[in-house]
Amino acid sequence: MTHFFNRLLTSLSVLAGVIVIGFVLIQVAPADPAAVRAGGSATAEEIAEIREEMGLNKPVVVQLGLYVWRLAHLDLGRSMISSQPVADEISATVGPTVELMLASVIWSIPLAIALGVVAAYRRGRFVDRLVMLVSVCGVSLPVFWVGMLLIQTVGGAGWLPYLGRGGPLWTLEGLAAIALPAITLGSVLIGPVARITRTAVIETLGSDYVRTARAKGAGEARILVRHALRNALLPIVTLVGLQVGNLLGGAVVTEQIFSWPGIGRMAVSAIFSSDFPLAQGAILVTAVGFLIINLVVDLLYASLDPRGSKQ
Amino acid sequence: MSAVPVTNPVAEPVPQGLLRRIASDRLLVLWLVLAVVILLLGLLGPWIAPHDPYETQMRIARHTPGWTSPDGVTYWLGTDVQGRDILSRVLHGLGATLGISLGSVALGSGLGMVLGILAAYYRRLTAPIMRVADVLLSFPAILFGLSLSALMGPGLASLFIALSASCVAGMVRVARSAALVVTKQDYMEAGRSIGFGDFYLITRYLLPNCSSMLLIYATLQLGHTILLASLLSFLGLGPAPPFAELGSMAADGRKYLEIFPHVSTVPTLVIFLVVLVINLLGDALRDAFDPRLRA
Repeated sequence: MTHFFNRLLTSLSVLAGVIVIGFVLIQVAPADPAAVRAGGSATAEEIAEIREEMGLNKPVVVQLGLYVWRLAHLDLGRSMISSQPVADEISATVGPTVELMLASVIWSIPLAIALGVVAAYRRGRFVDRLVMLVSVCGVSLPVFWVGMLLIQTVGGAGWLPYLGRGGPLWTLEGLAAIALPAITLGSVLIGPVARITRTAVIETLGSDYVRTARAKGAGEARILVRHALRNALLPIVTLVGLQVGNLLGGAVVTEQIFSWPGIGRMAVSAIFSSDFPLAQGAILVTAVGFLIINLVVDLLYASLDPRGSKQ
Repeated sequence: MSAVPVTNPVAEPVPQGLLRRIASDRLLVLWLVLAVVILLLGLLGPWIAPHDPYETQMRIARHTPGWTSPDGVTYWLGTDVQGRDILSRVLHGLGATLGISLGSVALGSGLGMVLGILAAYYRRLTAPIMRVADVLLSFPAILFGLSLSALMGPGLASLFIALSASCVAGMVRVARSAALVVTKQDYMEAGRSIGFGDFYLITRYLLPNCSSMLLIYATLQLGHTILLASLLSFLGLGPAPPFAELGSMAADGRKYLEIFPHVSTVPTLVIFLVVLVINLLGDALRDAFDPRLRA
């Protein structure tokens, strides 16, 4: 419980840091937020009125307080380019990014764990070396290369689409469109997860309880899954938790390559078009999402480790 | 560090043992030699590049690797979309990518090392330093890169700061746990009882005894940092074009992927090979010297 409390405290500090970054971003924006909010046809008096209303004439500390107050009410300001509310623009992009990340994780983590278990079981044999080779190549591969290769080969041959989102995932078009981006992003996880699984399973395979299970006459498959893998899950979950940041970085690039309408692509384009409120919103929302995922991983960890939950 | 076995019989016992151990591991020697070659190529790139990496010649644009121009000049890795020699750009870009990554690992890991050792040596500092490291660790590098680019504008400075920051937290943790082991050794106590000051103890006793572990971890960080650097500059968050950097070169050719795949593929392949060699070197070093770090 103390551990979880500490984690929560850390998350809150990160959140505070991100909020300050967001606030500074709004402050350095060359455009007057009041003028943006008022719209193009507003008179100087109307803008002054909105300035007062938004508290832009108050001291910086008060403005920071007002900023936090607005954030708490999900008011992220307005885009300087489309003058639409940032919250609306972002909410349209969160879905596709979550979709892409889930689609990548759903195939890559089970595959990587299976590879790691097989490598550990056949330790030192050909299969093990092959898996380790794939894994070290996997961690050395720039994610954009995987995407570009897939576009060149599968996309170029016209087998699967590689530009944009095809629609909801329950339609054939939607599934076809997410296939290449999900393969690309998932490839980021294969190397590290296969590797940690192998190390962890090798360790548990050498333990006394595995020997006991063998002595009882348990089948090899049961030993591997119920005894070796089950106990190896803790380090694997920890590593997957640490990989979420990598996955996020990979997602930004993958969205860029495949023109996937996600939040990462929006953040990058907002930065290049100097749309400060939009960039601020995208960074804030992504950071909050990241913190939530981390907390979930922590809870998962606690539920997997009976030693931790008893304390 | 050289891979040549020491022949001098009166050499210091510790370095000799170190070099012997390196020399006895053939794979480690191979990765070390390759890493040195890559480093030299990066360092000497501007001098050995056959052409000007920034000179655009539209009449020779988009030729495949190995193409020889009518004037009899061979472009070993082909030319890019604007008719620049890809080999020369890769050689310049390799230096830039390595320089940025090495510099930020040196800065970030160096800072992490100092903080980690301080956290281990002074109990009072443990909690605050580790809390800061935790906070840094839960701030993904990509978000830091995006935030800095938004604040300062995309460019070399924001890329460098983001990469350095991404190295700090991991190193703080590794350095602290390595230093904690050393602080419990008898020779630290002995040094203290003779009356050595903290600074002397840390620099002469503590640091040398955990330096190999820290160096190995920094090597592993380097591979990761190069990937991150190329990823950020692929997004355009690095030095502005036409600056030759491997990640941005890969991004340059992206639009012509189907027609001229080599424009993107060549720099990407170079990134992959460099990171691969550094990762293999880091793994081999770790296996040889520090089994505790094994992931």
